[in-house]
Amino acid sequence: MRVGIEPESGPRARETARGWREPTDQGLDLSLLEESLAKTPWERMQANDDALRFAEALRAAMEKRRAEPE
Amino acid sequence: MQNLSELTRRLIEAQVEFVLIGGFAAVAHGVTLVTRDVDICCRFSVVNLMRIQKALADLHPVHRSRPELGLALTPEQCAGLKNLYLRTDLGVVDCLDAVLGVGDFESVREHSLELELPVGKCRILDLEALIRSKEAMDRDHDRVTVRQLREIERRQRAPGPDAGPGPLGN
Repeated sequence: MRVGIEPESGPRARETARGWREPTDQGLDLSLLEESLAKTPWERMQANDDALRFAEALRAAMEKRRAEPE
Repeated sequence: MQNLSELTRRLIEAQVEFVLIGGFAAVAHGVTLVTRDVDICCRFSVVNLMRIQKALADLHPVHRSRPELGLALTPEQCAGLKNLYLRTDLGVVDCLDAVLGVGDFESVREHSLELELPVGKCRILDLEALIRSKEAMDRDHDRVTVRQLREIERRQRAPGPDAGPGPLGN
């Protein structure tokens, strides 16, 4: 089992390593867009669901934390 | 727990006649913004509305504007409906009979393409019509979506290495 943070690879990592980001067009993050376009439509739809579930889990954790006595 | 893919799968399985529109259609085209609901344009016939009702029946569907009101359509009620805004256990489903900037269901269907998903065939608003609809809505997040859709469109049209992976990435 691999544990810990894996070094990133791909265009985003290359940008970070160079210390600059790929030029963006009107504020678009082109590397994110490219990542998305490499997926199939169904994979994109499921990635959206994963992001929703992650946001829900975060929200629940924050609410739980707020409810706990200090 | 939200699961928009499962909502879509249910609509396909129930043979609802619909076109995927809005943010989830934009996601399917490649837009990176996260969306929280499924928007569809569908034929508002009794048969089709009853199929929607059946597809969502065990997900405790309620009318979003009146959550105390469960979805319990009768054929008589279907006749007067134009829109159906629903909340279910798996998320929000908005059913519209027309799309701003595109037109009624027939026009929307005309400007759609068929996607072969692992769960079945699904019609989705094409890029050009989706851009038009988002421009017509003109909310902040619509403008961001349009910028991404235009870039996707540009890549699909561009010859050579800058070209996208083809229509809808397949």
